[in-house]
Amino acid sequence: MGRDLGERNREAYARYKDDVRKEGKPFFPRAILHDTIMAFVVVAVMIALAVIWYWDAGDTPEGEGLEAGVLGPLYTLPADAGTTDFIPRPAWYFCFLFYLLRIFEWPETVFIATVGIPTIALVLLLGLPFYDRRLERRPSRRPVAMIAAVLTVLSMGVLTYKGATAQEALGSELLKLVPDWAEEQGFTGDEQANEGARLFAVSGCLNCHIYLGSGTGSLGAPDLSDVGDRYEPQALVRYLTNPAEFGNTVMGSYAYLGQENLEKLATFLDASTGDK
Amino acid sequence: MAKRKTKRQLLVDTAILAPIDWLDERTAVVGGTKYFLFRHVPRDVSWAQTLGFATLMAFMAQTLTGAILAMYYEPSAAINPETGKPVAYSSIEMITNELTLGWLVRGMHRWGASVFIILLFLHMGRVFLFGAYKYPRELTWITGVLLLATGMLMGFTGYLLPWDQTAYWATVVGINLNGTAPFAGPWLAQFLASGPEIGTSTLARFYALHMLLLPGAIFALIGIHIYLVTRLGVTSPPWSREAAGRERAEVQPAGGRAGLVRRGTDGGAK
Ligand code: HEC
Ligand code: HEM
Repeated sequence: MGRDLGERNREAYARYKDDVRKEGKPFFPRAILHDTIMAFVVVAVMIALAVIWYWDAGDTPEGEGLEAGVLGPLYTLPADAGTTDFIPRPAWYFCFLFYLLRIFEWPETVFIATVGIPTIALVLLLGLPFYDRRLERRPSRRPVAMIAAVLTVLSMGVLTYKGATAQEALGSELLKLVPDWAEEQGFTGDEQANEGARLFAVSGCLNCHIYLGSGTGSLGAPDLSDVGDRYEPQALVRYLTNPAEFGNTVMGSYAYLGQENLEKLATFLDASTGDK
Repeated sequence: MAKRKTKRQLLVDTAILAPIDWLDERTAVVGGTKYFLFRHVPRDVSWAQTLGFATLMAFMAQTLTGAILAMYYEPSAAINPETGKPVAYSSIEMITNELTLGWLVRGMHRWGASVFIILLFLHMGRVFLFGAYKYPRELTWITGVLLLATGMLMGFTGYLLPWDQTAYWATVVGINLNGTAPFAGPWLAQFLASGPEIGTSTLARFYALHMLLLPGAIFALIGIHIYLVTRLGVTSPPWSREAAGRERAEVQPAGGRAGLVRRGTDGGAK
C-alpha cells in the first residue's frame, strides 16, 4: 500500500475506537469482574506463600526460625562483616546477573556482564516500539519478534537456574587445601605464611580471586597464584588496607583484620610466586 | 414547581447528593469516575488483560504490608544491648516472633516481592505477545519498562534490610558489582555504601530508597501508566475474530465474489 505508516496507524486506531464504541462491553461491571477475581488470587497466593514459609521453617540450637523449610529460613544469622563461611546469594531475580559474572570472568570483560548486557537489554526494551514499527500485531506474522522473545526467555531461564544452583566452596573446605598450597609454593616451613594462607582461605578472597585453580574468578579479580612476583610485602599490606589507593574500587578494605593478620596475609601472598 | 420532598428524600439530598455536587463542582470527580468505569473495552478482553491489574494489586499489597513493617522496623546496624544483636536484625526477629500476626505481614511482604516481579514479567510478556506496545501505546510501554527497572531496584534495596548474613553478603556483591562499571561505577558504589564499610549509613540509605524514593517514583509512573491505558484503551487479542480495529476488506476486486475475496485478501478480512 502506498500510504505512509503514520496514516495507516491513525486509521487503524480510529477503527479500533469505533469498534470499541459500537461492539465493546462496559468496563464496569464486565471487565472489572475478572480483575477483581484476579486481585483476590494474587493476595491469596501471597498469604499462602507467607504461611508455608512461616510454618515450614524450624528452630536450630542457635535460634528460632533459622532452620530452612521449603521456602527457606525466616532469617539467617545476624550480618557479620568478619565471617568467612558464608556464600552470597542474591534474590532469585538477580541470579542471572550473578551467573553472567561467571561467564565474563576476565578482567577486561567484567563490565560487559555487569553493565553492558543489562544496559543493552534496557535500551532494547525501551526502544522496542520505535524499531518495531510495523502495524502487524498477530504473533504468527511477527516471526522475528517471536523468535527473539523465545530466545530471551530461554536464556534468562537458563542463567537464572545456573546462578541459583551455582556451587561455591566454603572457607572451611578451602582450609583443607592449605597444605597443598604450601607444598606447591614451597612455604611449608614458614608458619607466618601458613597462617596467612589459612586467613586467605576463610576471608572470602576466593569469592572473587583464583588461587592455584580454586576460586571463582569473578568481578575481574586476577589469579593470585603468582602475585608475589608483582608486589613487595609492604605494598601488599597497603593494598589490603586500602585497595582504592591502587585504583581498585571493586575490592573492599580488609583493614578490619588488624595489622598483624594483614602482615601474615602479605607474607603468604609474597611467598606465592607461581605454580611451577 | 417540584413536588414537595419527603423527609427521606431531603435527607438523601443534604447528606449525600449535596456533598457530591460540591465536590464535583470543584474537582469533576464524578465525571472522572464515570469516564473510568463506564468506558467501553473491546468485547474480547479477557484473563490475559487482568495481569496489569494483578500487578497493581501486588504493589498495593506491598505498600500496605510495607507501611505496617515500617512502624516496627529500625534501620540501624548498631548493637542492641539487650539482645546483643544488631538493632535492625532484632526488630525483624521481634516482628516475626512476637508481634501479633507480624510473621504474616512480613511473610506477605517478603514473598509478595517475588509475586510482584513475576507478575511484572508476565504482564510485559502478554503486552509483547499482543503487540500492544505499538502505535499509539509507545509511552505506556516506556513507563512500563521504567516500572520494571524501579521494581527490580525495590527488590535490591529491600533485600538488605533484615541485616542478616544473606542480606549483607548479597549486598556486598551487589555493591562491588556496581563498582566494576566504567566512569559512574565507583561513584555509584560509593554512594550506595556511603562509606568505606557497609554499615548503618548504608542501611539508612537503602531504607530511604526502599521506602521513600523508589515507591514515590513507582506511584508517579503507575499514575501515568494507568492514565494512558484508560485514555488509549486496551488492545484486543490480535488473533481474535472480533478484535477491535480489525481490518475489513474495503474494496472488492473487480468481478470478485464474496467467497473469492476472503481468500484473496491475505487474511486481512477477519
Ligand atoms: C569483591 C571481590 C574481591 C574480593 C572479595 C577480594 N578481591 Fe582482591 N581484587 C579484586 C579485583 C577486582 C582486583 C583487581 C583490581 C584491578 O585490577 O585494579 C583485585 C586485586 C587484588 C590484588 C592485586 C593483584 C594484582 O595482581 O594487581 C591483591 C593482592 C588482592 N586483590 C588480594 C586480595 C585478598 C588477599 C583478598 C581477601 C582478603 C581479596 N583480594 C579479596 C577483587 C576482590
Ligand atoms: C507496577 C507495574 C505495572 C502496573 C501496575 C501496570 C498496570 C497496567 C494495567 C492495569 C493495564 C491495563 C491492561 C492490562 O491489565 O493488561 C496495563 C496495560 C499496559 N501495560 Fe502495564 N503495568 C505495569 C508494568 C508494565 C510493564 C513492565 C510494561 C512493559 C514493559 C507495561 C506495559 C503496558 C502496556 C503497553 C499496556 C497497554 C496494553 C494494551 O493496551 O493492551 N506495563 N498496565
